[in-house]
Amino acid sequence: MISKLNGRADVEAGILFTLFGILTAGLSLQYRLGSIATMGPGMFPLILGTILAILGLVILTKGLLARGEKSKSLPLGPVIMITASLLVFAFLVLPVGLVAAIPAQVVIALWASEHFTWKRAAALSAGLLVFCYVVFVHFLGIAVPMIAV
Amino acid sequence: MEFLHNLDIGFEAALSLTNLTFCFIGVLVGTAIGILPGLGPLATIAMLLPLTYALEPVSGLIMISGIYYGAQYGGSTTAILVNLPGESSAVVSCLDGHQMARNGRAGSALAIAALGSFFAGTVATLLIAAFSPVLAQVAFLFGPVEYFAMMVLGLTAATLLAHGSFIKGVAMVLTGLILGLVGADVNSGTYRFTFGSFALTEGIEFVAVAMGLFAFTDIVANIRNDQARDVTAPSFGNLWMTRKEFMQAAFPVVRGTAIGSVLGLLPGGGAMISSFASYAVEKRVSKRPEEFGHGAVAGLAGPEAANNAGAQTSFIPMLTLGIPSNGVMALMIGALMVHNIAPGPYVMVSNPEIFWGLIASMWIGNAMLVVLNLPLIPLWVRLIQVHYWILYPIILTVCCVGLFSIENRVLPIYFAAGFTLLGCLFWRMRAEAAPLLLGFILGPLMEEHFRRALLLSNGDLAIFYRSPLSVAMLSIAAVMCLIVLLPQIRRGRKEAFVEEA
Repeated sequence: MISKLNGRADVEAGILFTLFGILTAGLSLQYRLGSIATMGPGMFPLILGTILAILGLVILTKGLLARGEKSKSLPLGPVIMITASLLVFAFLVLPVGLVAAIPAQVVIALWASEHFTWKRAAALSAGLLVFCYVVFVHFLGIAVPMIAV
Repeated sequence: MEFLHNLDIGFEAALSLTNLTFCFIGVLVGTAIGILPGLGPLATIAMLLPLTYALEPVSGLIMISGIYYGAQYGGSTTAILVNLPGESSAVVSCLDGHQMARNGRAGSALAIAALGSFFAGTVATLLIAAFSPVLAQVAFLFGPVEYFAMMVLGLTAATLLAHGSFIKGVAMVLTGLILGLVGADVNSGTYRFTFGSFALTEGIEFVAVAMGLFAFTDIVANIRNDQARDVTAPSFGNLWMTRKEFMQAAFPVVRGTAIGSVLGLLPGGGAMISSFASYAVEKRVSKRPEEFGHGAVAGLAGPEAANNAGAQTSFIPMLTLGIPSNGVMALMIGALMVHNIAPGPYVMVSNPEIFWGLIASMWIGNAMLVVLNLPLIPLWVRLIQVHYWILYPIILTVCCVGLFSIENRVLPIYFAAGFTLLGCLFWRMRAEAAPLLLGFILGPLMEEHFRRALLLSNGDLAIFYRSPLSVAMLSIAAVMCLIVLLPQIRRGRKEAFVEEA
């Protein structure tokens, strides 16, 4: 039974929306609700969270009853690599500067592709560094450090 | 006279050297990204948005809108030459456009697409100039009740007409509305859902949401489909269409423009639906429907005109009512708010140069596109062949620098990383992300109007049934929901029965 449900788009979506709705409704209870006429900060999120949780349950039920669409298979490698490449950029840009952030990002991101070679990564990094310096730092005057000292 | 005076203000703003330059950059970038499969206007605009914050609001908006309608032109080039929609609204152009290219008429197909789009763009620009003030007059009569009802209608229609499951779309809108509430509450100043973190008091940076859900999620989804592409390059001897082809294209272009202009006005309408509708109409009215799918001129000319007209008239609800009808318009509203301009009917009065300048720039941009598109075809052919592995690291880096530049801090990048994971989950579950963005933009406004309306009525919910305008809008929204849901419920039950038996 469980294996049959695995990979159904509506079932997964239903669970996610229901949980998010319940979470929102639950969290909004810590704020003042107020009355319908003078609503406090908690009222509107409570309403939205409740509706979302109900909708989530409807989607879940629909997914369980009908043979809905299958969920797409998520390529786990690229998901992790692309997210990691963003984090690494954010982590390096201020303490070290773009000279480290860009090559690190390019190598990690390119690793996710089957076309990865060190030569390509080096060429792309070099090109991007020049581009970022000319366009962003020089022309647009963005205060992003090339080399943080 | 008023009309001419307005256009005069507009052209004065749009013809300044700076704005002409940004218009040019916008349509050039737009065409390029329209041509590149796997990079859509929504992702590109999210990517470039932070860079426009430093510009004058007019210049920024002119550039963003140039990217949007430029992408409609570019998308059809890829559709015709490679049989691959460079942009989602060009799906229909693949059918007959690519067949024309295979019959050796690639040049004339491109010419028909470009000129048809230009005609549609011109008409749509005039329509925007003529109708926006009228619609804005109506919008001035709106109180909080009507605004709330209109947002409900707008979001319902936008979700309904977007592709994918309707009920999941509604859930996505709600998720967006909730995420939009993070930060300080306007009425009481209470910090909501900040988890004690100071970083969240200003709310979640919407560029980070857009980049995570669109630009970065697209990369993850496309990374494994990196193949060399087979391009049917046109021979330049026959770049011009024949007299017969011109005659065949003329009426479909006019009809397509009409269809696109109307459908673009509807919330959730815009380029894609317009092109599908136009193709269906052309096939119905054609004397030789059997030619469709084998290189019928009408099957290319109509949808091409329709998608461009639709892309442009979808600016009208955004400019006059402040209601985004699709993801790109939601980003435009975000861009306006960054410059402290409240989107809605007041923009026309308080910042006429923005409003009319934007409209005038659309016509100028369309003219640039025709001039630009045909001679640059060899360049575009090269561009289609660019590998995705070159493209996506560039997207990543430009996005990261852009996110950093918003407030000179790295926090938005971390948010974007989080929304990338969320976007990938949504992609897996086949939940369309655009409705979430609409909800995210409208969340705070919707809450404000809802609370104000009930404050005025002393907590009486019946206020939403007293105003005729509000009743009309809410009932249209309800009828739309019913129309979609009823067959689904019936079908769902039938399927359930089959499974049990």
